[in-house]
Amino acid sequence: MTAAAPGAALEARGVVVSYGATRALEGLDLDVAAGETLAVLGPSGSGKTTLLYAIAGLLGLEQGRIELAGRLVASPQVDVPPERRPVAMVFQHYGLWPHLSALDTVAYPLRRAGLGADAAARRARELLEQMRVGHLADRRPAQLSGGEQQRVGLARALARQPALFLLDEPTAHLDTALKTELQWELTARMHADGAAAIHATHDVDEALAVADRVALLRDGRIIQSGTPVEVYAQPVDDWAAVLTGPASFVEVDPAGPGWAGPERSSGADRDAEPGRYMVRPDWLRIEGPVKAIVRDVRYRGSHTDYVLATEQGELLLREPGEPRFAAGTATSLRIDRMWRMPEPRP
Amino acid sequence: MTEPTIAGPPVLPDTTVEGPAGARATRPRGRRVPGAWLPVAVLLAALTLLVVIPLLALFGAALENGLGGMWEAVASAWTSIWTSLWSSLGATILAVLAGGAIAFLTERTDVPGRRALRLAMLVAFIVPGYVAAVAWLDAYAPGGLVDDILGIAAPALVGPLGVIMVLAAEAAPITYLVIAAGLVARAEPDLERAARVSGADALTTLRTVTLPLLRPFVAAAAVLAFVLSVTSFGVPAVLGVPAGLTTITTRIYRDLTFSADPESFVRAIGLAITLAVATALLIWVADGLLERRRTEPSGVFGGPLGNGAMASGRRVGGPVPSRFRNRVALAGVVAWMGVGFVVVVPLVALLLTALARAPGLPPVPASWMLENFRAVSGSSTLGALGNSILLAGAAAVGVMALAAAAVSARRGRGGGLVGGALAATFALPGSTLAVAVLLAYGVALRDTLLIILVAYLAKLWAIGYRPLAAGLDGLAADLSWAARVSGADGPTTMRTIVLPLLRPMVVAGGLIVFMFGLHEVTMSSLLYGPGTATLGVVVLNLQQLGAAGQTAALAVLLTLLVALASLPLLGRSGLLERVGWRR
Repeated sequence: MTAAAPGAALEARGVVVSYGATRALEGLDLDVAAGETLAVLGPSGSGKTTLLYAIAGLLGLEQGRIELAGRLVASPQVDVPPERRPVAMVFQHYGLWPHLSALDTVAYPLRRAGLGADAAARRARELLEQMRVGHLADRRPAQLSGGEQQRVGLARALARQPALFLLDEPTAHLDTALKTELQWELTARMHADGAAAIHATHDVDEALAVADRVALLRDGRIIQSGTPVEVYAQPVDDWAAVLTGPASFVEVDPAGPGWAGPERSSGADRDAEPGRYMVRPDWLRIEGPVKAIVRDVRYRGSHTDYVLATEQGELLLREPGEPRFAAGTATSLRIDRMWRMPEPRP
Repeated sequence: MTEPTIAGPPVLPDTTVEGPAGARATRPRGRRVPGAWLPVAVLLAALTLLVVIPLLALFGAALENGLGGMWEAVASAWTSIWTSLWSSLGATILAVLAGGAIAFLTERTDVPGRRALRLAMLVAFIVPGYVAAVAWLDAYAPGGLVDDILGIAAPALVGPLGVIMVLAAEAAPITYLVIAAGLVARAEPDLERAARVSGADALTTLRTVTLPLLRPFVAAAAVLAFVLSVTSFGVPAVLGVPAGLTTITTRIYRDLTFSADPESFVRAIGLAITLAVATALLIWVADGLLERRRTEPSGVFGGPLGNGAMASGRRVGGPVPSRFRNRVALAGVVAWMGVGFVVVVPLVALLLTALARAPGLPPVPASWMLENFRAVSGSSTLGALGNSILLAGAAAVGVMALAAAAVSARRGRGGGLVGGALAATFALPGSTLAVAVLLAYGVALRDTLLIILVAYLAKLWAIGYRPLAAGLDGLAADLSWAARVSGADGPTTMRTIVLPLLRPMVVAGGLIVFMFGLHEVTMSSLLYGPGTATLGVVVLNLQQLGAAGQTAALAVLLTLLVALASLPLLGRSGLLERVGWRR
């Protein structure tokens, strides 16, 4: 079950899953290329966990089909059990067995794959070492910290050598420093393995940082997918814009009087037309042709956020360093870039 | 967990607790406040009067007769001890298998009628053992309902088979509750999912993950089932004695009630002690075994039943992979057939017997009448009804007052000991307690309701204490702290914040005690005198006289009363759910 040959690690088409009367996934389409890390970004309740469970075979499909590494594993007629699908999973709450030591936990999938007890233990120890928790091999989950538990959970998933890793908010319950550290580790390990991964998260920073591609999930449907830069810079609607980071919206005519348009636009012709535009806080600079009054100042350590009132509306501006103005100061700003919001579909 | 286990190390009342809910918290150390000694004093006085003095009297009487004589007396009842052992063992195995299987169905699958199945187990829980025994006779004995309709009868019902089956039926609801609590609290579904995506098939997952995680709960369920069976009096009295099978409990009854010779009296004392020591030993060993394995608090009384483990459980489930559906449906059908066989058919037979004009008539409306009900509404029965309600009511009020005192006292020093002592009284067999109370207060209180009440209070105290303590444990400490930093002192916080929040638990605990008091028979059968018989005693006496119709009529009345008392507990927005006895 090592990394799949060139081709799709996952192909999901029209997947429908319901809990009683409520539909958790509504005709969802998703592709993951071999070796690719896809972040599925969505708020809680959007269906992230359901999606991962459906791919893993922990629940059945009502409609649609799922192929893993070119093999049909789920459809209303077909239901390959989880243990025979080439996937491994990392759980949000770790899912470590309280009665097994870290070593036995990591050896578990190896034993299921038919390895002897000694060989499994040796390999499990190697994996724990790689995750830098080798010294904790004999501990039970209750004796491990959250970060250590998740490292063990990750080692268990690696032991399975799947074609596709399923990561269900793997860092959601860790504090910020640990989170960042484990994110790097995750990305590095997955890529070293050459396997594909689906990384479900509600944390936009995490999604943008770890993924080759990001898919936005809303009410059981993928509403946008693209590279991290694409989903950040070119959201398909307001909801997607706000989900992927701080955003300000202004109704402007870039060519109109009193408003200096973007010096560097994001491509299409219609970028110069009047309409509704989104501006990211890092696309703005203090000092420029647009008059503004500082409404609010938030110092955030590495940078400072200003809320600036202009004639067209309030804009959030972010610049590196410490605050330069107090609230109430009159100043001006310049817009480097804007994204014209697509017209809402009827 | 602040609910101490029997054998565990003393648990300080103010330790940080990480329960399944995660919301348990450090309770502030009790500050010295005026009046804080009152609950402790009440508690110590009650413990002394209700438990310590009777037990001292029991052991004193044993020593008086010399250990050698005691040993001989007990040895002469060897067959009774042996009968108790194998019947309880058989019942335990059956109850754990049945309770465990149904718990698995209701907690791990979306079997049709899941809620109804849970309710059926709770109904089985409130039907007292001797009523179940009588009902089984009406259903499956020769001349019973099934014999009438299908011509099938089980002549061996009176005898080993019947005793084991009905004891198991009596214990199954408890094993069900404990194992279901375990399935909810201990084995999170994520752990099983993790096994599946690690390459384990369903059976391997069951073997390597689900069952090992459940082991403490299964062990606790087995211990409880065994203790329940070995201390049961009603079931062997109805189904064992007529076949010449005596257990420890029925032997104590016979020696104490029907025999005037001193040797029988000594034997009753010896057997009472044997029973108590055996159950205590069993619980102690089991608790020790559980203690060693566990990474989280459990133990027979500390764990599964000890706090609101069930209350905190989330419902798992959701869509089941389609490949399971047929098997789940089949298992559901089997479970429902079992429930029908064990609960529904006997209760229907009981009702029909109560209504029957004469034994053996076909179960059609033409042969029904209310004569049996009229016959049992005589003055002696009415008196017994009054006695039972009075005793149960007094026990409910008294127990909840004592439980409140115990919960308050627990906040101070030595609180852990209080909980331990209370848990121990619940483990004290009813027969032992009755003999002890008789020895201690028999001279002064013989043939009064008060002596029965003393036994009830001692026995049922722990039952009322548990929901209250669980409720307190489930209460986030922030709530009390918020009151304290808002200017309330300790007693005021108790009065204005803690007790109002615990009110549902107080009501639920009181109702449970009332229920147990209504259908109690083990202790009252040893302690009653002229004019102080309880309903349970009258049912047993009628049954022994062979008045099947009247027995059934009274059993139906009794069951209806108990059901009525338990109605608020079983309701949809049920109190039981709020106090953690079920979700």
